[in-house]
Amino acid sequence: MQETIENKVGDLLSFIMKNSLWQFNSRGWDRRKQSEGVLTKVSELLCDEPVSKETPADKCYYAEAQCVVDGFNKNFPWLKDLSKDEIKALIHQLHERLDYQTIDASLNAELTVKNY
Amino acid sequence: MPLHEFDCSKVIPERKQHAVVKGREEDLTSCLPKGYLNTIPGSISERGCAYCGAKHVIGTPMKDVIHISHGPVGCTYDTWQTKRYLSDNNNFQLKYTFASDVKEKHIVFGADKLLKSNIIDAFKAFPDIKRMTVYQTCATALIGDDIEAICDDVMEEMPDVDIFVCNSPGFAGPSQSAGHHKINIAWVNNKVGTVEPEITSDYVINYVGEYNIQGDQEIMQDYFKRMGIQILSTFTGNGSYDDLRGMHRAHLNVLECARSAEYICDELRARYGIPRMDIDGFGFKALAGSLKKIGLFFGIEDRAQAIIDEEVARWQPELDWYKERLKGKKLCLWPGGSKLWHWAHTLEEDLGIRIVSVYTKFGHQGDMEKGISRCSEGALAIDDPNELETLEVMEKLKPDLILTGKRPGEVAKKVRVPYLNAHAYHNGPYKGFEGWVRFARDIYNAIYSPLHQLAFTDISKDDFATDKGFMTRRMISDVDLDDEVKNNTELREYTGGFDSVSKLHDREYPEFESQSAPAAAE
Repeated sequence: MQETIENKVGDLLSFIMKNSLWQFNSRGWDRRKQSEGVLTKVSELLCDEPVSKETPADKCYYAEAQCVVDGFNKNFPWLKDLSKDEIKALIHQLHERLDYQTIDASLNAELTVKNY
Repeated sequence: MPLHEFDCSKVIPERKQHAVVKGREEDLTSCLPKGYLNTIPGSISERGCAYCGAKHVIGTPMKDVIHISHGPVGCTYDTWQTKRYLSDNNNFQLKYTFASDVKEKHIVFGADKLLKSNIIDAFKAFPDIKRMTVYQTCATALIGDDIEAICDDVMEEMPDVDIFVCNSPGFAGPSQSAGHHKINIAWVNNKVGTVEPEITSDYVINYVGEYNIQGDQEIMQDYFKRMGIQILSTFTGNGSYDDLRGMHRAHLNVLECARSAEYICDELRARYGIPRMDIDGFGFKALAGSLKKIGLFFGIEDRAQAIIDEEVARWQPELDWYKERLKGKKLCLWPGGSKLWHWAHTLEEDLGIRIVSVYTKFGHQGDMEKGISRCSEGALAIDDPNELETLEVMEKLKPDLILTGKRPGEVAKKVRVPYLNAHAYHNGPYKGFEGWVRFARDIYNAIYSPLHQLAFTDISKDDFATDKGFMTRRMISDVDLDDEVKNNTELREYTGGFDSVSKLHDREYPEFESQSAPAAAE
């Protein structure tokens, strides 16, 4: 079961890494902010929860998140069979793995440069 | 880490850190070459300098500007006209290039008076142009000419002109990428916020990192106008100097080439709260997703979807004609920076082409992260390659085509590997749905050109049949094709014209009712 969840998270992660660009901003702190902003809204959209679009930054995260969700729904039909709690757990794991790969264990030496 | 050592670079052991092969279980935590470092001595790099990055890539696509280099005439000549960044004002910025023409005596006695007189002469020679950019070069940076002071003097004497100083001499960093950074930051520091633009729409963007190669910007502008979006400025292809001074009033920065222009987006986000949205203007699926994303930001995704539906219905049968004939072809994607990630997955998905190698001349590790994520297993990723390494790759991987710049492209042709110009294009524009079909057509023509067979015949020595014509492209490409595909009447070759841009100039755009119109006075 655990292996299945890991595989599913891996599939979602591969989709984001291949199709999205928001996770690749040039600094580590910026990437963390982006993944938090977008994936929080991905989880909300998948769980049919209200999504804030108050600020320009919110609107940007929402637009990115909606595109991710559209891609997920098209490519991973098994998502529809999951409960809200399962979706949240799944996106939480996805968030952790994305941050690990693009920030915490990244080999990119420029992530810690202070200026842009 | 799956490092790759070139046979030809064994004598430069440090090069091993700059090439990796993407293996089956590899991800970015184990597979990423070094990048954006000074070129290793002994490796003959193909990079440009920081002056070239600032002037040639970013500065000179600005259309209503006299671009003058303060330095030897060779610096400005070598960054002139080699990239087809067109403009809708009769290509002023392509027709002319200017230099202060510094000579040895100026290095000894100073070149400030020379620069001032040349600036004034240039404005007098082109009295309709009131804007100028002055680019520092290595020679004048070393003698310490104070360009800002000279330009302030001129602006005091000629109050109707405005001058921007770009202090990015050639030695200012490892490659042209350092120049991108310097001109981005200089522009936002010195010029953004000095003009208040007229806002005509509820939806206002800056289109950033777009250089209008063969009309790319005008293709995207057409989509934005059909969505009712105002492009406040384009940084910098077909861009106007004064429009770019008003960038601070946009609602969204739409970013294409993050490699050359993310800096100004990040600064506009920090200083003015304008979000940055990275998009892909190439490829059917990626472009459709990008238009949808911009629509979602403004709440007008239905307008984006209508454009996508119309364009896909028009062009998909033509893209698929080429896809049937290009499936499985091996390609080396060797551009300068951003196209390694803009094109890697779209070429594979839209045309079934396999990317066997990606490289970047001046990209950073962040660009390689995107490129490696988007290309398939087995691809060889190289940072700052030298000529011998690229020859070794072509010999070992035997690609059907190289997408690269004109200098390495000519090397490829010498070993009989076809190449397409990834920087200035062959028959672009390549952006947009029609543009992607034009690109597919160019790839097809390059791979299946009869020239590759004819070139092996030495007509002065070899026997050859005089009663037969040569093989046409179609005869070569269709030899192993199923009859079902060959006889498919739905699919067709590109039917657009030679010029896919001019027709847009006559298009009428819909007028949308403003949602934020001020209430009538009571």
